[in-house]
Amino acid sequence: MKKRTYIYKGFERFWHWSQALLIFFLALTGFEIHGSFSLFGFKDVVKWHDMAAWAFIVLIVFAIFWHFATGEWKQYIPTTKLVKAQISYYITGIFKGAPHPTHKTIYNKFNPLQRLIYLGLKLLIIPLQVGTGLVYMFYIYPNNPAHVGGLGLVAIIHTFGAFSLLAFIIAHVYLTTTAETPLTSIKAMLTGWEAIDVDEKEERSKHLQQAVNDSAAGYYRIDSNGIFVDVNQAWLDFYKCTQRDQIIGKHYSITRDKKDLAELDLLVSRVLFGEFITGVPATRKCMDGSSGKHLLSANPVIENEEVIGMEGFVLNISEAEGLSEHMYYTVRNSGAGYYRLDDKGIIVEVNNAWLELYKYDNKEQIIGKHYSITRSPNEVENLEKSFNSVMKGETITGKIAIRKCRDGSTGRHILSANPVFVGNQAVGMEGFILDITTLEQD
Amino acid sequence: MRIEKESKKEFIKLLVLFMAIITPWILGIAYFSKPADSVAEHSIKLVNYKADVGSRVDHQKFLILQQDFKTPQDVTAACVSCHNMAGQDIMRSSHWTWAREYVTESGDTLQLGKKNMINNFCIGVSSNEARCTSCHIGYGWEDENFDFTDSRNIDCIVCHDQTGTYKKFPTAAGYPVNEAKKFGNTLFQAPDYAFIAQNVGSPSRQNCGVCHFVGGGGNNVKHGDIAMESNQASKEIDVHMAIEGANMDCVACHIADEHNITGNLYSVSSDNTNSITCDQCHTNYPHKNQTLNDHSNKVACQTCHIPKYAKASATKMNWDWSSAGQFNEDGSTLIKKDSAGNITYHSMKGTFVWENMITPEYYWFNGKADHYLLGDKVDTIDAIQVNSLLGSYEDEFAKIFPVKVHRGRQIYDPVNQILILPHLFGKDSSAYWTGYDWNKAAKAGMKSAKLPYSGQYTFARTEMYWPINHMVAPAEESLGCSDCHSRDGHLANLAGFYLPGRDRSIFLDRVGFILIVMAIAGVAFHATLRIAGKRNN
Repeated sequence: MKKRTYIYKGFERFWHWSQALLIFFLALTGFEIHGSFSLFGFKDVVKWHDMAAWAFIVLIVFAIFWHFATGEWKQYIPTTKLVKAQISYYITGIFKGAPHPTHKTIYNKFNPLQRLIYLGLKLLIIPLQVGTGLVYMFYIYPNNPAHVGGLGLVAIIHTFGAFSLLAFIIAHVYLTTTAETPLTSIKAMLTGWEAIDVDEKEERSKHLQQAVNDSAAGYYRIDSNGIFVDVNQAWLDFYKCTQRDQIIGKHYSITRDKKDLAELDLLVSRVLFGEFITGVPATRKCMDGSSGKHLLSANPVIENEEVIGMEGFVLNISEAEGLSEHMYYTVRNSGAGYYRLDDKGIIVEVNNAWLELYKYDNKEQIIGKHYSITRSPNEVENLEKSFNSVMKGETITGKIAIRKCRDGSTGRHILSANPVFVGNQAVGMEGFILDITTLEQD
Repeated sequence: MRIEKESKKEFIKLLVLFMAIITPWILGIAYFSKPADSVAEHSIKLVNYKADVGSRVDHQKFLILQQDFKTPQDVTAACVSCHNMAGQDIMRSSHWTWAREYVTESGDTLQLGKKNMINNFCIGVSSNEARCTSCHIGYGWEDENFDFTDSRNIDCIVCHDQTGTYKKFPTAAGYPVNEAKKFGNTLFQAPDYAFIAQNVGSPSRQNCGVCHFVGGGGNNVKHGDIAMESNQASKEIDVHMAIEGANMDCVACHIADEHNITGNLYSVSSDNTNSITCDQCHTNYPHKNQTLNDHSNKVACQTCHIPKYAKASATKMNWDWSSAGQFNEDGSTLIKKDSAGNITYHSMKGTFVWENMITPEYYWFNGKADHYLLGDKVDTIDAIQVNSLLGSYEDEFAKIFPVKVHRGRQIYDPVNQILILPHLFGKDSSAYWTGYDWNKAAKAGMKSAKLPYSGQYTFARTEMYWPINHMVAPAEESLGCSDCHSRDGHLANLAGFYLPGRDRSIFLDRVGFILIVMAIAGVAFHATLRIAGKRNN
């Protein structure tokens, strides 16, 4: 399962791109010092190379700290598992469109080859470059700071390291293009976000936790003495609590009127004996003295095979809930035709009036079809325009349209349409139609 | 609306990342591009130097100097009657002995110097004394019997004359003339000793220059970095001696204690005692830039600060004795000159090569030199090293020095495998410059030097090394980094160490180049296959 995930943290990206820039600049200045070309002039280029070297060393110190502080160093622990698979993927599989043999997760960001190469860089090439670079920088006399017998060997090792890094960068930049799209990896390294494989189990438990927290149902937990241990925000809202400590540590008896308390006492004692309660209507007493109705679920909290408390959800049954139920029947029974399309223009819901207007016998005949089926060929364009503008967020309040019925006949109606939102995303279009065929004839 | 907001947030995040990476670089550039080593003039840091001011004495007031001196020795007697320790001091000095004590590796103490060494010009003193010793600070050293212990023979005034009228005659064993006499086209007047003796003082550039600027028989022949123009030098020629610059006399640096003048000339000196170094005045950290100061561990100041020598008059770079002895058809002396008036051929001496504005050659040098000593057996496979500067990169005390290398061809005994010291000067027919017979000259010269001569001679290639110390250029003309740190820079021929910018492992560079090419080719190949694979799928 893939999920857009924040995989590269802020410092990590800063470190990566700074390092990239520094290595590039060090190579540029380094090869000028080497005598490969002339750009800055020897005096300035040495100064620049030294400065970049110090910046690199500072960056490395911070990066080492970051890797240990965050535990990210574990990402680099080498593994021989799947190395062969990864190699054979790059040699053959990739050309046939085979899937990546390893999956990127937040705990395993690197494939086994990456682990080996990056670890090699961190433990061999970069220390080699820093070490020889420092000797190079401070070696100004045969015996100072260490007797290395001249710069020859040091310079040659340093040059070797530079060639290795350059070759690495070429391969590294190329291999970033092997993800889903050529720019996927680079975008991820820039923004930090990438669609990666997530651990379903973990994802689920994380999500459930979140769900309880953010649920519209009120969650509560009490201990075996009936004292509140935890509630969520929705619960606080239902009970008109402004602060958690108004309720945490209090006995559940304050949530009921005296006349309703006995019912709850009984329920609690049943649950503490291990029973599950799936949906009981109850009348709560709110903190401000008002009351409300809800459905209550309750189950025992078990730890070490012992019931240590009770938890569950409350679902509000308020005036508004009644209203939405009413609305549901209104639409269902309305004389106006109701329809809903998804973002591809597929019809996902219609009401009876709609079926009647279009002369369908039942829903199954039309659900899953594209809206173009409801128009004669020369009328489709009109609907398509409306659909497109609605999908961009517009609302159409009244437009005359000519429908094509199932039997081929036509009729005229006034059409309303509005986008269906999920979050900030328009995922479909819905609206009503009012038949005006007879009206026109009059 | 929310979508826009999201992407705006994303953009700001990226911007922050970008700024975090870029800002240190901008700060760095701003910091480093400050004109830290600006050309803005800063005063040169000096220690220990102040112009030497002796106690003032008016020699005209001394009665003893108001006499009618008959001989130059009378003047010397008058001098030492007051300066009564000066005679002893002088007679210990190498200006007098033309030799210095030198302890060999085996522990023997030798007297080595001009007296008994050969050079790459007029070769050797023995048997030619009367000509050579016109530059000796004494009177009458005409053969080996000269008495080095008689202080009356000291020539005080050649160094101390401030009138500019005193001149020794070129072929008179150090004596001036008694009555007016010509040498070539130059007329030498008998000196007015009383006038000169009453006008003596600390030696000026002219005093030193009468010998040292014209060593080898003409202006700038030997040294290359000191010449007659040093008397009237501009800053471009020599910042120290420049009239409009520091205007320093020779003795400002070549300070003397008890007439022992500091400084070594490695044509005759072997050891680095008594030497003068730049840092005596300029300190060990004369630059603001620490990297430049660090360079002085391995690079002599002279190397960067004397980018050229023989800046005005030319100096002799090559002397080929083997071609001597050719004459005009009428039998008169054959003399050829180049457009600048330098003699390029002379019947007496052979063929010369002159150059000016010369870039020095560079050698490791630790302040000690080796010399060819008369009688040393040597083959002629390589040029015979008349002297050699010791030191190498590994030598803790060695630095890179600028050097004038004087090359030549000298007479050589192929049987005994030794250089011949020929008898050049004299009225006798065995003198080469009289009889033009190398065989006789060799026989007489080697007899005088108490060395064997096989009767056979040939000419061997020779080289002699002259470290360059004068003609220090203005700071802005000194060498820059890339003059040496480049593939074909000034130090292109100085082997034995790794010089960044000059040296590399050609093997590694090839391997590295192939590695990069292979990486690029591999990537291109892989990418092509991928694209092709995608199409097929």
